[in-house]
Amino acid sequence: MGGHDAGTHQFTGLAKYFNAYTMIGRRNCVLATYATIAGIVLFFKLKPKKQAAVTEK
Amino acid sequence: MTLSFFDQFMSPTLLGIPLIALALTLPWVLFPKPSSRWLNNRVLTLQSWFINGFAQQIFQPINQEGHKWAALLTSLMIFLITLNMLGLLPYTFTPTTQLSMNMAFAVPLWLATVIIGMRNQPTHALAHLLPEGTPTPLIPILIMIETISLFIRPLALGVRLTANLTAGHLLIQLIATAALVLLPLMPTVAILTGALLLMLTLLEVAVAMIQAYVFVLLLSLYLQENV
Repeated sequence: MGGHDAGTHQFTGLAKYFNAYTMIGRRNCVLATYATIAGIVLFFKLKPKKQAAVTEK
Repeated sequence: MTLSFFDQFMSPTLLGIPLIALALTLPWVLFPKPSSRWLNNRVLTLQSWFINGFAQQIFQPINQEGHKWAALLTSLMIFLITLNMLGLLPYTFTPTTQLSMNMAFAVPLWLATVIIGMRNQPTHALAHLLPEGTPTPLIPILIMIETISLFIRPLALGVRLTANLTAGHLLIQLIATAALVLLPLMPTVAILTGALLLMLTLLEVAVAMIQAYVFVLLLSLYLQENV
């Protein structure tokens, strides 16, 4: 099963933690995706709704 | 009372008492328990061969930790195969045509495998949601696709068994009705329909066994991923 790390990859920078080759990298990508989706959902839920101004005649 | 083709799938009751409980406990009385004798009779020997052979075959690719599931999955297999086969007898009720029952098997067992994976090896379980070597632009969308496919698994398990059994039973009833109705009108066509019915029944026997096996095999594969 594809559970082992590809040892020949030398990642630097952000790719060291977010890549599709190492177990840690794949896990971090998954967590980052879920966090982004949760963030977007929370943003739209907590965004204050603009109330239309009601003018009385 | 006008009967429809779907009445065979209605959960049977007698004076308000649900008979599905009887249908579910019937497999239990059909199988002899192992005896303390050194040499058993033929039925018990065949039963033991089947159970041991099945357990070995299913659990051979799974590591030691997963072997705790042997009793559960083997008994589930025997239960499903018996229910499916008994349902092929005329005028019997097949509990595995009920989606509620199949989902009641599929969801808790699938969820157990997912929870085991998340508890024992969370990195491995989460990393599974992103196939190795995915190109960078495809990463987010593939993660979402894999997540959806993970949650669709119990639904697919339950619906697969329900749909196969229901469709098979319905076809048998339709073709049998056709053969019966055609008998006084066109006997030759009725005989051909009867031959078709015989082949369909043989197919349904195979489907009954295969679907029970596939249900348990897929659960064992989900366990293999997570244990």
